[in-house]
Amino acid sequence: MVHLSSLLLKKYHGGYVVIRLALAGHKQANRPFYRIVAAYNKRARDGKYIEQLGSYDPLPNIYNEKLVSFNFDRIKYWIGCGAHPTKPVAKLLGLAGFFPLHPMMITEAERRRALTELTATGAEDGLQEGQNVA
Amino acid sequence: MFQVISGRSIQVARLLAPRSAVLVEAVRGRKSRTDPVAKSKEGRIKVPPPVDPVEMVVLKERYTEYQLMMRALRLEFKEEVLRKKYEEETGSLAEERARQEAEEHRALMAFNNQENLRMLKLRILRIQKEKEEAERKQVEAAIQREQEQQESIKEKERDILKLQEEAKNFITLENLDQRIEEALDNPKNYNFAIDKEGRVVKQTMLQ
Repeated sequence: MVHLSSLLLKKYHGGYVVIRLALAGHKQANRPFYRIVAAYNKRARDGKYIEQLGSYDPLPNIYNEKLVSFNFDRIKYWIGCGAHPTKPVAKLLGLAGFFPLHPMMITEAERRRALTELTATGAEDGLQEGQNVA
Repeated sequence: MFQVISGRSIQVARLLAPRSAVLVEAVRGRKSRTDPVAKSKEGRIKVPPPVDPVEMVVLKERYTEYQLMMRALRLEFKEEVLRKKYEEETGSLAEERARQEAEEHRALMAFNNQENLRMLKLRILRIQKEKEEAERKQVEAAIQREQEQQESIKEKERDILKLQEEAKNFITLENLDQRIEEALDNPKNYNFAIDKEGRVVKQTMLQ
């Protein structure tokens, strides 16, 4: 069995394919919109890509949802051909269930939960002290 | 470190009241490695964020699991891609498709040959007709030319005969004296008068 990635990628200048977020060129300030895109590593972030595999809207809509879309068939093909997903793309796919959950997401969630617990216990202690004093 | 600017941005920079004589603007990576450290950052020691060992162990374990799963997924997808490629080229449907395409090709070639034959026949007929037309026209033109030649010959013969007829009345050296005496004996009067109604009067005053 021949190594497929070398067959497919040797044509270009020695780079590799990545699956990453690229800003769609809407040119509106404070309103980003990302495309999930398979592109060569050395290309500009918003430059020419090989194929678009989905989109991601980082701002929540009126029903308080952030909309993401994936083309799983083509993502499978590109990962089979040796593409590397970036961290945010891996996190999104982990949330979607296609990949396993990213470890950094889990640790960040735990940290946040610890912080909220601290502040909650701090507020309770403050309340108790206030009651005791009173 | 600093970039000298010129043009429209000069006005903006002037409004911001620079102290230096040359107008400069801030650029990313302002300081090079030979520039001195700022006063506010003199005793600063850069410290990386503190690492919780328990959390780190748990995180490392999670990372190994994650990488294992990712590798497995990657191999799975690679296998799937290869299998699809193999199926495309040497699968069960590929032969049928190839056969169907060959049949289509043969049918189309046969149709093409039929069309060519038909067009050939039509073309032959057309060319024959054109040739016949051309021959007919040539023959007609030849006949026409012959006729014209004959006509011209006849014209010339008529002219010759007329000339022969007129030659009888010509004045020659022998007739000269006779004709002079005849002319002197019969004076001819060519004068006549005509009026608007067309009445001709040949009788005039003789000299």
